Amino acid sequence: MPTFPSVDWFNAVRERYNTDQTLHSGGGGPCEAKAALCIGDSVYLLEFEGFECAEILEIDRDDIDQADFFLEMPMPEWIDMINNIRENGAADLDHTLSTIDLELEDGLPRAPGDDQYRRDLFYRYNQNFQDFFDASAGIATTIGRVD
Amino acid sequence: MNGAPDLELDTAWMGRMGEWGTTVRPGKRGLTLEDIRIGGYGELPEESDNMSGRPRGAAERPEAFRIGGYTVRSKREIWLENATFLYEEALQRQWSSATDIPWETIEPLPDDIEEAECALCTFFNEVEFVAGDVPARWVANISPDFFEARNVLLAQVQDEARHMDVFRKRALANGGGLTRVTGATSGFVGGIDLSRDFTEMSSRMHVSGEGAVLSMFRMGELVGQNPAEKRMYRLCAQDEARHVAFGIMHLRYLHATAPDRHEEIEAYLDEAENLSLTGGTNPAGPQAETSEALAILLGGGKQHYDEGFRILLAIRKRQLKEYMQRVKSAGFGERFENGRSPVPGRIAALC
Repeated sequence: MPTFPSVDWFNAVRERYNTDQTLHSGGGGPCEAKAALCIGDSVYLLEFEGFECAEILEIDRDDIDQADFFLEMPMPEWIDMINNIRENGAADLDHTLSTIDLELEDGLPRAPGDDQYRRDLFYRYNQNFQDFFDASAGIATTIGRVD
Repeated sequence: MNGAPDLELDTAWMGRMGEWGTTVRPGKRGLTLEDIRIGGYGELPEESDNMSGRPRGAAERPEAFRIGGYTVRSKREIWLENATFLYEEALQRQWSSATDIPWETIEPLPDDIEEAECALCTFFNEVEFVAGDVPARWVANISPDFFEARNVLLAQVQDEARHMDVFRKRALANGGGLTRVTGATSGFVGGIDLSRDFTEMSSRMHVSGEGAVLSMFRMGELVGQNPAEKRMYRLCAQDEARHVAFGIMHLRYLHATAPDRHEEIEAYLDEAENLSLTGGTNPAGPQAETSEALAILLGGGKQHYDEGFRILLAIRKRQLKEYMQRVKSAGFGERFENGRSPVPGRIAALC
């Protein structure tokens, strides 16, 4: 059972996202973006290409410029979101990425160099990222240690 | 053999082709417009003298009528580096308001919430008419030599048509209906249609107008009362972000290639910032009727209006910050450092 967060866990989600057509809903379409997720001390780079999440890498924080944008939250909030998705089969109304984004004063996505064009990719492809996280509902998960 | 005269077939037209012998193969994303920008077909003129509607790369026909009264004939008036990409993205990310919104999840809401939602839907109906009409008018003015950018605008017209219909459907879906028009298309928003220059139009509509509406669509997802509303606003925001990207990339192209137009573009931004973004016509601003509807939705009802308004102001601050970052991304960020723009002051006032 993969542990959240880890490359194994993200690859399990990736596998389901890429193969389960019910997760590619209307408005989801192809996506060209690199999203980094900063979870605890780890940074995961998710590369979306066309209809797939093509690759997951763990990268150094210093290499975050590789991403178009990155999402950063305290570990308990990541876990709250993941648990909510597992309990409901998909994020409920209070746990979608957009809702979390708007509840934070400065928002959820950040872009290297503060480039708003790259940051706007989070909004342009938002349904894909939501579908990706919703794919985690079916993944047996061990939650990692909360420091 | 059958008594018909033995006429020789005239196939002279076969010798009057465009560049011949091209072969392209689909890549991972299918056969895209970017894939077929090859050879002479991929070469854009700096100035287009094509007034006959001739497809770029086709051989000329001297007797062709001048059917196109194209006024946009210069590459630097219209171009952006990622036009082919945005067009393919627009086509492949289309969605249906009839079948991709889970309408069955809408349930009766308290009257004040329903009325506020309907007011917002009425407002979006009004402004999306402008956002569809304006690019539609410009399409026929653009030389077909720049068809990639033209096609993005055509796709935008389809997007805006869908936004109009989805908000109309929502307004009529749950015991409410359309409210009195907000008048949002008077003043600055309606004035977008008076633009005489493409870049003037794009900076007003794509960068200022749609940037502001993008923030409102995202707010809509925050206040959505059910999965149908959440998805409706999220999918509209995706489309809107693409339209904003068109404007940013067009301005970025001009920043790099047309230094003689910088001051003119700064003047367009002055106008947008003073009249719309920091003025009373910003639909998320403190004076607009729509802002009251948003505050009711954000607060969770009329009795929580003050709390809703507090959240609205916080989101408005973000709307302005994001606008600044977009203009910086396009290359025109100095205005926020040298005191020309009123936006930093407005943000400070909201803190």
